[in-house]
Amino acid sequence: MSKTRTHRIDRHTDPEGPYPPTEEMLAEPIDPELRKAQGERLKKAWAMPKGWRYISAVNNSEVGKWYSLTAFGFMILAGIMSLIMRVQLAVPENDFVSADLYNQLFTMHGSAMMFLFAVPMFEAISILLLPGFLGARDMPFPRLSAYGYWAFLIGGIFVMGSILFGAAPDSGWFMYPPLATQSEGIGSDVWLLGLSFIEVASIAAAVELIVGTLKCRPPGMRVNVMPLYAWYVLVVGGMILFAFPPLIAGDFLFEMERSFDWPFFDPTRGGDPMLWQHLFWIFGHPEVYIIFLPSIAIAAMVVPTAAQRPIVGYSWIVLSAVGTGFLSFGLWVHHMFTTGLPALSLGFFSAASEAVVIPTGIQLFAFVATLMVGRVKMSLPMLWIAGALAIFTAGGLTGVMIAIAPFDWQVHDSYFIVAHLHYTLFGGMVFPLIAGIYYFYPFMTKKTMSVRLGRWAFWLLFTGFNITFLPMHLTGLKGMPRRVFTYPGDVGWDWLNMISTIGAFIAAAGFAVFAYDLLRPKGRQPKAPRNPWNGGTLEWSAETTDHGWGSRSIPYVTTRYPLWQQKGIVERMDEGRYYLPDAEEGLRETLVTSVIDAKPLQVMRVTGPAWVTLWAAAFTGGAFILPTFHIYVPAIISGVLAILCICYWLWTSTAIIPEKTKKDAGLGLKLPIYISGPGAAGWWGVFITMLGDATAFASLIFGVFFYWTASPDFPPEGSIHANWIVMAAAAALLTASWGAMLGSRQLNMNGRGDLATACLVAAPLLALAGIGAMILSVWLPGLEPTSHVYPAVMWGLVVWTSAHVGAGVIMQLYCLAAVIFGKVTPRYDAPLWNVTLFWHFVILTVLVTAAVVAALPRVL
Amino acid sequence: MTRRENVERQEFAEERASLWKLTLGPVTWAVHFAASYSLTAVWCAKLAAPQDDITLLRLIIGAGTIVALVVILLFGLSAWRQWNYTQTGRATHAFGDAENRHEFLGHAATLLCGVSFIGTLYTAIPVLVIGSCT
Repeated sequence: MSKTRTHRIDRHTDPEGPYPPTEEMLAEPIDPELRKAQGERLKKAWAMPKGWRYISAVNNSEVGKWYSLTAFGFMILAGIMSLIMRVQLAVPENDFVSADLYNQLFTMHGSAMMFLFAVPMFEAISILLLPGFLGARDMPFPRLSAYGYWAFLIGGIFVMGSILFGAAPDSGWFMYPPLATQSEGIGSDVWLLGLSFIEVASIAAAVELIVGTLKCRPPGMRVNVMPLYAWYVLVVGGMILFAFPPLIAGDFLFEMERSFDWPFFDPTRGGDPMLWQHLFWIFGHPEVYIIFLPSIAIAAMVVPTAAQRPIVGYSWIVLSAVGTGFLSFGLWVHHMFTTGLPALSLGFFSAASEAVVIPTGIQLFAFVATLMVGRVKMSLPMLWIAGALAIFTAGGLTGVMIAIAPFDWQVHDSYFIVAHLHYTLFGGMVFPLIAGIYYFYPFMTKKTMSVRLGRWAFWLLFTGFNITFLPMHLTGLKGMPRRVFTYPGDVGWDWLNMISTIGAFIAAAGFAVFAYDLLRPKGRQPKAPRNPWNGGTLEWSAETTDHGWGSRSIPYVTTRYPLWQQKGIVERMDEGRYYLPDAEEGLRETLVTSVIDAKPLQVMRVTGPAWVTLWAAAFTGGAFILPTFHIYVPAIISGVLAILCICYWLWTSTAIIPEKTKKDAGLGLKLPIYISGPGAAGWWGVFITMLGDATAFASLIFGVFFYWTASPDFPPEGSIHANWIVMAAAAALLTASWGAMLGSRQLNMNGRGDLATACLVAAPLLALAGIGAMILSVWLPGLEPTSHVYPAVMWGLVVWTSAHVGAGVIMQLYCLAAVIFGKVTPRYDAPLWNVTLFWHFVILTVLVTAAVVAALPRVL
Repeated sequence: MTRRENVERQEFAEERASLWKLTLGPVTWAVHFAASYSLTAVWCAKLAAPQDDITLLRLIIGAGTIVALVVILLFGLSAWRQWNYTQTGRATHAFGDAENRHEFLGHAATLLCGVSFIGTLYTAIPVLVIGSCT
């Protein structure tokens, strides 16, 4: 088999022609007529849809803009909520809002800032900027970005809108059971289903960004010269992949309890509210760094430009990003210091909380060192970065204090924590983000923002922020708890709260000035110069007129700051003297390169404008939103329609068999158009998604072990267990289905399409029989999920696994259709590779589930 | 081509695995951290009463810490050799050729092993001072 495969690779998919390009090749002039014709063709291929069709656009520049403006809008709404809270707290015994509304306000303020602003903003900005940093045409999966955006918009409006009906979640942004599980009304369901929907969109964006960074860099941009922003994107994407799934698993258990009374968090039936706290914070603490790192990545782009020299300590910053990414997963229990865990456990998390300061600090020192050795121009973005460093350092110092468990016991759930977290988030996220908006505004809109208004905004926000939050440290030390809607007048909190309220309005004025400057029409203003800050990275090669194509030709990059260090690179890009200067067939294309050394591998055709992504998002939204109101049948129909839309989208626009095997990518290099297997971007997309999915599954398994450690009798004496013979049969059937899938891929590759078809007929039948047997194995013995957490968690695993097998069956049927209708041939077989990869993960899930459900309880 | 050149050529050829190699130090920290946490959780929930002496648990975690530190040290040494600082004296690897990329990955991995080493030591500090489950 391996011989055939290698042979095939040699003949069809190896690049042909010279690489890397020589100086002479790059110096060769291009006929002006040809250049013009090429430009026209490119422009046409990348043209934006006009008029009302504009919303079907999928270009990263458009989706990124909508995404960031939507996230900004949600931030303004969440900010207004905080102002209402500040008015309420300005004086003691106030009745400006009711306790109930106040509960909704603080819950929505936190949830919206985290889920509708901070994380989506990272994705938005990265979708907008990353292709620019990499000189790429677009992201690898443009329609996926668009789908993610529309899902985010629908979910966000649903969650935000609930407050207008007084139906918003009201149990705090971390939704602790039993308060949240027993909360009346639909608030908790809005939170669980609405935000799960958005989390799915977040993971989609993370997959896209990781694949974009690994596979869509320009030729020659090895890992040691890629922009630091790309390193951060890689780390943060990885963190999202391991941090969000535990929350999704938690949401799954939580919603099962809310909807079907499966007692995962109900102690009267063996459940444990602590499991939610663990799952939530395994997500929640890395989340803080998921917010912080991308913003500090903006600083890593602004600082070298301000200092007009390359960054000092590139490797140290990479260490910092990767190290923080890891250590941030060892901090979650520091949100749970007061829950009575063993002292030694608290010690471990205290230690890790102190250790994470080391990598976090290193990058700040690297920035300061860069500024010290450079000739700093105190530009507006740099002013905001300076403010960020000051505020973040203060937040970091209180962080070191509360990482010590005994100190935390004193200030837990007090305003001291409110002050600390706002210092870290404003310093670590808001200020660098605004710096980035000022800095990248000319790149994004071809105009500049006002320096005068920018300084006003800065000083208003900086002073307003400190006036609001600095006194809160004291308010907290004086004992004022978080989340109280009012307080008595005689305990010494009055004047501190009044000062905070005044500060909040000064900060709000700063935001208003910034928002006005951001959104005011700038039609009459002259265009910004091409590289207004004299930056050294590729995004500043963008032309002053946006043609939608990203860069005119994709450069050969050998330095970290190509615009400073590679003479004439911009002129050559403009003249189309690098790669992909043309769109001969009128199709959208970008280059795929290798992971480490960015050797060109493929000319990948990417998708263009489409309505199907909008439909898919709308129906996915229906599938998540309708169950909130316990409307299940339309929800299922909506889910089925979403799946059909996605199948249509994949069938009509991905893995299209090209008209020729290879095409000229420029500079004499001929590259394949179609790749399948581990070299292809789509395969990486599946692999990375499934890594996240496996993490969610691992969280469920963690749940089983958690129940075992946390309760004295799990499973309880005399429990009914799953039928192990039926479960073994299920495992065997599903393994056979996996084998048939793998077999179909191999047989198809060897030209045995008929046998491959037979395998693809057998595979879904075996899988369906397998699901049936798996459900029978818990149903026949009569495990009753509402009676106790033990049968509930066993059923939970079976439901989870069945859903995955179900998805796997749809994919197998897709492959069957693809083989029958000639969408898959022995040479063009990407769908088979991707679905087989999915099934590798499914079979792992199946075998672990079988072992945990049928065998483990008998051992415990 | 001399033999040495040949060896270098091979060494600098694209290293698909080396991006993962970057994470070996931190992964060791994570494994040690997760193992210490799980062991303590199970020990305090199933084996020891709240006031019991947990010297045996502390010794086991101590031994695990030594193993983890040695493993990180070995990964660090291998990364240090890849960085090749003693021969080249290079600490910035700003140019886009295979040698720079190779040494850069070694350099970053060495630094990460350093942070992981400190992080693992930190994890072990509570074991020195805390004598019971509560």
